[in-house]
Amino acid sequence: MKKVIEVKSLTKEYKGLRAVDDLSFDVYSGEILGLLGPNGSGKSTTINCLLSLLKFQTGSIQIFGKSMSPTAYEIKKQIGVVFQEVAVFQELTVRENIEYFCGLYIKNKKMRNEYVEEAIQLVGLEEFKKFYPKQLSGGLLRRLNIACGIAHKPKLIFLDEPTVAVDPQSRNHILDGIKRLRNEGATIIYTTHYMEEVEILCDRVIILDKGKIIASGTPDELKELAKIEEKVSVEIEKISTEKLEEMKRFKNVDDVKYIDGILVVTYQKGKNNLIHLIDYLKKENLQYNKIYSERPTLNDVFLELTGKELRD
Amino acid sequence: MFGHNFKCALKTLFKNKVLLFWTFAFPIILGTLFHMAFQDIESNETLDVIDIAIVENESWKENKILSHVFDELEGDLFSITYGSEEEAIALLNDHKISGYLILSDTLKVVVKENGIDQTVLKFVVEEITETEEIMKQIAFRNPMKEESFYQNLYSMIGQIQNENKVELVDISNQNLSYTMIEFYTLIAMTCLYGGMLGLYVVNQNLANQSHNGKRIAVSPTPKWKVILSSALAGYVVQLVGIALLFLYTTFVLHVDYGNDILKVIFLTLMGCFAGLSMGIMIATLFKVSENTKTGIIIAFTMLCCFLSGMMGITMKYLIDKNIPILNLINPASMITDGFYALYYYDTFSRYYFDLMSLFLFSLLMILLSIRSLRRQKYDSI
Amino acid sequence: MTVFKAYLKVLNKNKALVILYTVLLIFFASFNMKTNSVGTFVAEKPNVLIVNQDENRGITKSLIQYITQNSTIVRVKENDSSINDALFYRDVSYIIYLPHHFRNDFLSGKNPKIEVKSTGDYNASLASMMLERYLKVATTYREVEKDEASLVKMIEETLDHQVDIEMTSKLDSNQLMKARDFYNFSNYSLLAGCVFVICFIVASFKDENIRKRTMVSSLDMKKYNQQLLFANGLFALTLWFLYVLLSFILVGKSILDFHGLLFLFNSFVFMVVALTFGLLIGNLVQNKEAIGGIVNVVALGSSFLCGAFVPMEWLPDFVLKIAHIFPSYYYISNNHFISSLEYFELSWSFVMNIGMLLLFGVLFILITNIISKRK
Repeated sequence: MKKVIEVKSLTKEYKGLRAVDDLSFDVYSGEILGLLGPNGSGKSTTINCLLSLLKFQTGSIQIFGKSMSPTAYEIKKQIGVVFQEVAVFQELTVRENIEYFCGLYIKNKKMRNEYVEEAIQLVGLEEFKKFYPKQLSGGLLRRLNIACGIAHKPKLIFLDEPTVAVDPQSRNHILDGIKRLRNEGATIIYTTHYMEEVEILCDRVIILDKGKIIASGTPDELKELAKIEEKVSVEIEKISTEKLEEMKRFKNVDDVKYIDGILVVTYQKGKNNLIHLIDYLKKENLQYNKIYSERPTLNDVFLELTGKELRD
Repeated sequence: MFGHNFKCALKTLFKNKVLLFWTFAFPIILGTLFHMAFQDIESNETLDVIDIAIVENESWKENKILSHVFDELEGDLFSITYGSEEEAIALLNDHKISGYLILSDTLKVVVKENGIDQTVLKFVVEEITETEEIMKQIAFRNPMKEESFYQNLYSMIGQIQNENKVELVDISNQNLSYTMIEFYTLIAMTCLYGGMLGLYVVNQNLANQSHNGKRIAVSPTPKWKVILSSALAGYVVQLVGIALLFLYTTFVLHVDYGNDILKVIFLTLMGCFAGLSMGIMIATLFKVSENTKTGIIIAFTMLCCFLSGMMGITMKYLIDKNIPILNLINPASMITDGFYALYYYDTFSRYYFDLMSLFLFSLLMILLSIRSLRRQKYDSI
Repeated sequence: MTVFKAYLKVLNKNKALVILYTVLLIFFASFNMKTNSVGTFVAEKPNVLIVNQDENRGITKSLIQYITQNSTIVRVKENDSSINDALFYRDVSYIIYLPHHFRNDFLSGKNPKIEVKSTGDYNASLASMMLERYLKVATTYREVEKDEASLVKMIEETLDHQVDIEMTSKLDSNQLMKARDFYNFSNYSLLAGCVFVICFIVASFKDENIRKRTMVSSLDMKKYNQQLLFANGLFALTLWFLYVLLSFILVGKSILDFHGLLFLFNSFVFMVVALTFGLLIGNLVQNKEAIGGIVNVVALGSSFLCGAFVPMEWLPDFVLKIAHIFPSYYYISNNHFISSLEYFELSWSFVMNIGMLLLFGVLFILITNIISKRK
C-alpha cells in the first residue's frame, strides 16, 4: 500500500511540557486512521505539527512523499482540515462560508460552485444555505464546519474531533459523510475520544497517551490486546460469597465481581461460556432478571494498557 | 485568489455592525453633536450690542454733551433704557442690563459683576468723559475764552480725530475659526478608529489569533496574498467611511477644509493608512484577547484625540507650544495639524512635515508588525 | 445576598471604566481653574501681543506702556508661525505691529499705518478700542504740543482719568461658575457611568441562559429583582457620592453653604433618573457589544445638546428646544439657576425642573416594567 504520510520521531515540547514524544507512524492511502486518546494526550498537537502550524523540536514529516512546510502549497492543495473549533465567518451565510474557504483552493469558478453544492449535500445543509452561523444549532454548525474543510475534494483529510457535542442525528450524518469521502478515494485521519466512532469507522487505530503511541492496529487487533474476550453481566438479587468463589474456578474465567445487584463474569477466551454460566445458575436455583454478553471495547483496551478510563 | 479573498473580506467587513458603527456612524453622530453645540460659540464671542440703562435725572437732562454722545452710540454699541434709579436697579438685578449710568457730580457706572460687557461700558464712559479732560488741557494752553469757545473746541477736536487718524490695517487671516479644529480631530479619530478594521482583518488571517486563521494557514494560498488583500479591503471600507464623513461635514455641517482638495485627499489617504497600520501593529504585537485589543485601540485613539484638541482646543496649542515632541508620536495630532495647516497657512511646509510624520509613523507600525506577520509556524496556537 | 455578591463581582470587572470617567472629570474640572478676586470691579484684560519694530523710546514707549497696563501681554516665540498659532488658538486676541520709524513719523505729523491681527472676538474689540483711544488722544494733543516729553505727559494724564465704578454683587461668581461647570460635566460622567455599568450588568443577568436558570431556581423572582435594584441603586449612589466628594475637594469653600446643598440635592435627583434610565436601557439592549455605542451616543448626545460641555447661553435656540426632551436639560438648567443665586430662595422654575426630572424617572420605570412584562 502507498504511504500518504510518513512521520518519523516527532517531538514537540512546549513550556517544558512534552506534548508529543518521539512519535513515528505512517498513514496509507485510502484508509481511515483513528487517533484515539484522552483529552491532552497530544492528538491535536500532532495534527497541528503535521500541518506545519506548530514548530517542533525534532522529527521529520513527509506528506505525499514530500517534506511538509508552510509554503508547500502543492501538498496543501490536496489536504483538507476540519478543526476541533468551529471556524467560520459570522458575517457570511452557510453557502458563502463554504464558497470562501473552497475558493482558497479552487480558482475555477464553475468548478467551485459544483464542489460547494456537493459539499452542502454531503453534510445535508441544503435547507440552510442562506442561514447565518448564529442561526444554526450546534450540530448543524459542526456540519458547516466540516463542509468548509472538505469542499475542495482533498485527497487527504484531517478531522479533529468533528463530533464533539453533537446530537445523534447530526453525528450519524457526519459519520456517513466521512465514509462516503473514503469511498470516493480520500485518506482520512480522524481524532476522537469516542471509541464507538472509531470502532464503526476506522480501518486502523493509533492509541495515544501523554504524547506516545501505546498501541496501534485494526480495532480487532487491538481488542486482542485486551486479555478478556467476553464479558457477561447478570442482574441477580442475591448471591453468596462461596458461590462467587466457586465460579472463579470455572474454565476460562478471568474474574468474577458482584456490585450493586449485578454479577459480572469476565472470560479470557473459549466458547459456550454463557451457556455454562446459565446452566450453573439454574442448577443452583438462582433467580436472575436480565443477562447479557459483551465483546470487549477499545475502552477496555485502554483501561488495560494505562490503568485509566479513556473518557474523563 | 487575491480578488476572491478581497471580495470576501469586503463582504464580512460591510456586514460587521459593531465595526461599521465605530467607523461609519459614530463619527457622523459626533460631528453632528459638535456642529449643534459649537455653531454659535464664535459668534457669541464677538461684541454684541450691550444692554445698559441710564438714570434720567435732572443733571443728565442738563448735560447736553453726554446725552448727545450717548444718543449717537445707541444701537451701535449700546441699547439704552432710560428711567429712574429704582427701575435701573431692578433691571440690573434681573440680569436684563449689564450696568447703568448715573450722573450726579461725576458720572458713575454701576455694574453687578465683572465681565467683558462691563469692561467695555467702563471703557466707553471713560473715553467720553476724557473729551472733557482734553478740552480742559487745550483750554489751559489757550487763554482766550469766548462765548462759543467750548462749542468750537469740541468740533475742532472731532475734526482732528477724524481727519488725522493713524490708520489700523487688519492683516489677519480670514480663516480664524478655531472650532474647525474639532472637526479635524474628528477626521483624525475616524482615521485611527480604522485601526479596528486592521485589527479585524489581521485577526481573521493569523493562525495564532483565530480559528479561521488556522484554516487559511493550511490552505495553499500564500499568506502575504491573504493578508494584503484583506488589509486592502479594510482600507477600502475605511475610505468609504471617511468619504461619507467628508461629504457630510462639508455639505451639511459646512466644515471648511481649505481650498486645496487634492492635498486634503492625500492627507486623508495617509491618515487612514496610519490608522490601519496602527491596528495591524496592535493585532500582531499584543498578546491579549481581541476585546482587549479593541479596547486598546479605542483608548489610544481617544488619548491621541484628547492631546490634539478634541476635548478642548487649547490642549493642542499647549502641546504645540510647550511639548512639540509629543506631536511626533501622536498620529491624531499629525492629521489634525495637517488640516489646520491647509486651512490657516498659506505655505505648505507644515503640511508636508505632517504628511511625512504620518508616513514614518505608518512605516514604523508596519515594520513592527512584519516579523509577526511573516511567522509561519508558532510555538503554540 | 447571592445576587448582590455576583453583582459586585461583575462590577469589579468593569472598574477600569469607572476610574477612567472619574479621572476625566477631575482633569476637566481642574483644567478650567482661573481665579479672580471678589467684590471689587476688575476690568477684563484682553490678551495682546505687541511686535515693536521701532525703538522703544518716547511716544512709542508710552503707547506700549499704556497697552501693557490695560491688557495681558503674552509671551510667544518671535517667529511668524508661533505668532499665527497663538492668534488661531486665542492665546492672543490682538497683535499690534508697531512699524519702523513709528515715533519719528508720528511726531513729524505723518500718520503711519499700524498693522494689526485680530481674532474678531470681544477681547480683540476691547484691545482695538484701547489702541484707538490712545491714538486719538495722541493725535489731538499733537496739534497743540510739539515737545515730545510734555506731549507724553499730557497723554498719560488724560488717559489716567478713571471713571467711578460700583459693583453691587458680592457673589463669588467665579467659584460658583466653576462649581456649576463641574456639576454640568457630571451630567456626562453620571449618565455614562450609570448607564454603562448598569446596562452591562443587567445584560449579564438578563442573558437568556442565566435568566432561565434563575427563573427555575428556588429564589423568589420579586426578591431577585429587588436585590438587583438595590445593588444597582447602591452603585449609582456610590458614584454620585464620589463626584460630590470631588466637588468639595475641588471648589470646596465656595459651596459650603446653601449653594452646595442645592447642587447636592439637584445632582442626587439626577442620579436617580440616571439609575432608572440605566435600568431601561439594560432591559432594552441585550447585546453587550452594542452597549458601548448606545451609551456613548446617549451620554454624549444629551451632554452636548443640553449644555454640559458648552455653556447653555452659547447654544443656538433650536438646540435648546430639542434639549427639552432630555432630563439633562432640567438638571443643567437648575445648575445654572443655583450658581446665580445670591441668597437662598427656591424659585418656581427650580421646583418645576426637579418635578420634570422625577417625572422622567417615573416614566422610565413604567416603560421598563412594560417591557419586562411583555417578555
